Amino acid sequence: MTSLTHFFANIRWQDVLDIVLNSYVVFRFYILFRGTNVLRVLFGLACIWFVQRLAVSLGLIVSSWISQEITAAAALIVVVIFRNEIRGVLQTKNIRGILWELPKRSTTTPIEVIADSAFKMARKHIGALIVVPGREDLEEIVQHGLKWQGTISSEMIVSIFWPDNPVHDGAAVVRGDRIREVGCILPLSVRKDLPSNYGTRHRAALGLAETSDALVIVVSEESGAVAIAKDSRITRIQDPSTLEKHLKEHAGQRFRSRSDLMNEKIELGLAVFLSAVFTLGIWFSITRGLDTLASFEVPVEYRNRDPAQQIVDTSANTVKLQLSGSRSLLDAINPNQVRVRVDLSKATTGSNSYTITREDITLPPGVILKDVQPPAVDVDLDITAQKELPVQADFVGKLPDNRILAQVRLTPPSVTVIGASGFLDKLSTIYTEKISVANFESSGAIEVGLTINPAKLTLAAGNRDTVTVYYTIQKRTSPSE
Amino acid sequence: MVSSTKKPAFMRTAVVLSVLLLPPVTAGQPSGSGQLTTAQSAELVLGESTVCENVLNGNPEKTAVAFSVRLKRVYCYTDFSTVPEKSFAYHNWYLRDKLKASVKLTVQPPRWSTYSSIQVRDADKGPWRIEITDEEGNVLKTLRFSVID
Repeated sequence: MTSLTHFFANIRWQDVLDIVLNSYVVFRFYILFRGTNVLRVLFGLACIWFVQRLAVSLGLIVSSWISQEITAAAALIVVVIFRNEIRGVLQTKNIRGILWELPKRSTTTPIEVIADSAFKMARKHIGALIVVPGREDLEEIVQHGLKWQGTISSEMIVSIFWPDNPVHDGAAVVRGDRIREVGCILPLSVRKDLPSNYGTRHRAALGLAETSDALVIVVSEESGAVAIAKDSRITRIQDPSTLEKHLKEHAGQRFRSRSDLMNEKIELGLAVFLSAVFTLGIWFSITRGLDTLASFEVPVEYRNRDPAQQIVDTSANTVKLQLSGSRSLLDAINPNQVRVRVDLSKATTGSNSYTITREDITLPPGVILKDVQPPAVDVDLDITAQKELPVQADFVGKLPDNRILAQVRLTPPSVTVIGASGFLDKLSTIYTEKISVANFESSGAIEVGLTINPAKLTLAAGNRDTVTVYYTIQKRTSPSE
Repeated sequence: MVSSTKKPAFMRTAVVLSVLLLPPVTAGQPSGSGQLTTAQSAELVLGESTVCENVLNGNPEKTAVAFSVRLKRVYCYTDFSTVPEKSFAYHNWYLRDKLKASVKLTVQPPRWSTYSSIQVRDADKGPWRIEITDEEGNVLKTLRFSVID
């Protein structure tokens, strides 16, 4: 009860939006895949995930490891095994159908024409096999025949299965108001309990019905009987109106009573409720599952500094944040999600002290700030100035015997540098990199770089970062000490 | 040298300085009162100045820009060509930008040569500069040299 009160006291509008959005996604998933095996497998995976959480909380090492591995591979399993179903949904729906429309219970297939044609062929003992696909994609189950793309009519159906037609032995696949393919070969059922009067057509019809959600109409050439195969069952049909009824049911156009409509509303309402409960459960598991404290060392970003000013010194370049949240959220934090930014727009030249407030800190959703150390930072600012400074050669090493380094001349003799005014005031010379005199046997020149701390100084435009050192060597008239 | 260990670095260096006030270079130099009046109204003018290994008989010997630490001592020689009145000059010795010694030197009219020196040790290797200033601290000249192995 306390945790529930705590939840409602601390929930943010982002959390509500998060839960509503994901509940809707789960609901749409249900709408799009209901009636297919995908939903059943997903439900199974959800159960495994629940078992895994339970096993972790009970400390069952092997069970939690196995269930964790299975759920980790779940996305791959679903995509690979149900690629046909997923493709079927994506191909047959437009974006509106995927995102918000409830599936329409209508079909463009001329059901009456198909039913009449089937019985017309039955009377003439013309064998026929007509496939009416369901939601699942038959791409990899049916062996393709000839593309047809003809608008359905009784005459055309009869002519396709006319005994002299080369494609009359195959199956015709119907989609919408067209026959898409003819002469298709269907997988045969391997069941041994079929009646002896069922020939290859019946086996093919049953074979497809067993492996998909399609409905197959079979017209027997021998007996002139009409049957439909659906969901591993084959049913004899006596008249066109019964066939129409089955076809309409298959297309989702059942003649629904008030109780059917009510049941559907209850089903959808239950789906909405369960989607919300499911999402809420996941949300709780992720965000409120285990409250953990963790420390993060975060660099401080000093922003909006006046371009005419320079940061001379800061009391801290990083701060330690103590954060609270679920372990999974804290583990998933990457450095770009946690930032500490101090606004220097109102800073003045000299020392400035800033208390780090919650507004200065960016955190990912669901993570709570507990403490900041140090709670304040001092920033010393100075105006940027430029100064011309003489360059001095920095000689090191030992001169060859009996040599004197008599004179030195540098070109250019001085450089202009840019830096903080206070720092430049204390600076009187720019030194070269160390120049070894060990090989200075005679006079010469050498090109050397300047030692400039890039964090504090930059060379003004037009200044080279090297100088030429011309040196004059003289021989000693008397040996040195 | 005495009790140098108890004194700050600046003082330790300062105590090893030896200062020699050279006699005025009078030969051939005008010394009339008119010139003196003129000199008094003028400022202290630095003539020759150099860093050298030794000063012998009032003259710098072996001027250079790099001195071995084995020499143990480095000299700064200055010749003030115009001294309007008795006053002081300073030789401020810096290792990099840190003041290591400041030597006060008396200068006498009408012309005066003087020098200061500093004892150098291993820790003193690096780039040096000497700022020669008048009483008011105006820098008359900056000399630069290095102490090497």
